[in-house]
Amino acid sequence: MAEFTLDCMGEACPVPLMKCEKKMNELKVGDVLLVSIDHSCAMKNVPEWARTRGHNVEIEEVDDGEWEVIIEKTN
Amino acid sequence: MEKKTERYDVVIIGGGAAGLTAGIYCGRARLKTLLIEKALVGGLATYTNEIENYPGFPEGSSGLGLMDLFHKQAKKFGVEFKLTDVRSVDFSGEEKIVETFRNRYVAKAVIVASGGKPRLTGAKNEADFLYDKGISFCATCDAAANTDKTVMVIGSGDAAIEEGMFLTKFASKVIVSVMHEDGKMDCNEIAKAEALANPKMEFAWNTVVDSFEGEGRLERVVLKNVKTEELTPYTVDSCFLFIGYLPNTELFRDMLDMNRGGYLLTNEKMETNIPGIFAVGDVRDKFLKQVATAVGDGAVAGYAAEKYIAEGEVYSRQILNEGGPSFVYIYNAIDPAGRELLPLIEQFEEKHKGEIPVSRVDVYKSTGIADKLNVSVFPSAVLINNNQVVAVLEKDINEADLEKLAAKLG
Repeated sequence: MAEFTLDCMGEACPVPLMKCEKKMNELKVGDVLLVSIDHSCAMKNVPEWARTRGHNVEIEEVDDGEWEVIIEKTN
Repeated sequence: MEKKTERYDVVIIGGGAAGLTAGIYCGRARLKTLLIEKALVGGLATYTNEIENYPGFPEGSSGLGLMDLFHKQAKKFGVEFKLTDVRSVDFSGEEKIVETFRNRYVAKAVIVASGGKPRLTGAKNEADFLYDKGISFCATCDAAANTDKTVMVIGSGDAAIEEGMFLTKFASKVIVSVMHEDGKMDCNEIAKAEALANPKMEFAWNTVVDSFEGEGRLERVVLKNVKTEELTPYTVDSCFLFIGYLPNTELFRDMLDMNRGGYLLTNEKMETNIPGIFAVGDVRDKFLKQVATAVGDGAVAGYAAEKYIAEGEVYSRQILNEGGPSFVYIYNAIDPAGRELLPLIEQFEEKHKGEIPVSRVDVYKSTGIADKLNVSVFPSAVLINNNQVVAVLEKDINEADLEKLAAKLG
């Protein structure tokens, strides 16, 4: 159950989503990826995408307009 | 993994305009309120570039900007936010349970504001290309990635045409698939005229999607002419679907009453078929789905939830007398027959002072407490002990019968 981080601060869509997909391929089941996002549109497609793939998703609002998307790989 | 249990007065599912407004009302009524949102607070309105018909903003406002103000106001009144998706709900008991992947929330009332999700075409291979693989639902999100590319838009409603026009600022060509005949679109006339005059926009009339094709990523969309059945492949880089929304109500199937489309049925107090569960905004079966109407729904539900909780507290503390004996007189204050008996009730109260506490419940404003006692005839006298109704007097309430009732406690 390793933890990985992905810094997407300052990056606009669809870059965060594409980076997430690439990174998730490197993770094992049970591993967790913490993605830092400050672009609101990535808050729409990153969690949606992760859920359609069946992963567990939870988000923390770190600051006004800054989020940490926590994705637990389930498959 | 053991789930953490937390208690709230109200849990709101969904953080769009309706959920946020309900939050503002609940927070301001000093209820301990939690709002659960699965992605970005603000809901569907944040997908809109320009909101021009929400009163109070004569210059217009961006959807995101407006929702940010709603969010700030809810925070000001102490509403707590949790950004994750709801996995399951259990509304069968007095305590309502809402579970996320890590937590179990127990609430006295729940407001469902879960809105909708984009409708899919149902065409072949659609699931293979969703989100990052070429099929998108958000022009704002993915327009820049399509600079100088060819994209397709499915649909001809306001969202489809307005988002399509936005895409022409980036893409070199925007092909719009419209299921209607040449020149007929579902959007407003202004958007239609602008779209038809836009040199970057091309229209495929009488068409629906037959299949999505590509190696890993979307490369072609095959459109079918609904009149001639003819199939035409179009080479595109992305395809945007704007063919309406479906309500997010799978979680509540066989629990809450819905119409055939899956929208939740409520009364004018936003109450669903289960007491303590309210529904607001786009998830509800209603005539007009706008920020302005979502706000109205949220206000009503916030207020109704507060009343529901207050009645519940009065019920257990006073009516049920925490398990002790209790006499309840239920009447309608505008009914003379109900008022005439009040002196008799007072006399009874005086006689049994310190022995049976007496409550008077006026059903004029709300029948909530009467409903809980299963009483629908007014006036009625109800005797309660050990949290249970011992006896009910409905007709001809007189002193002798009241004394017989009181004797049942002995």
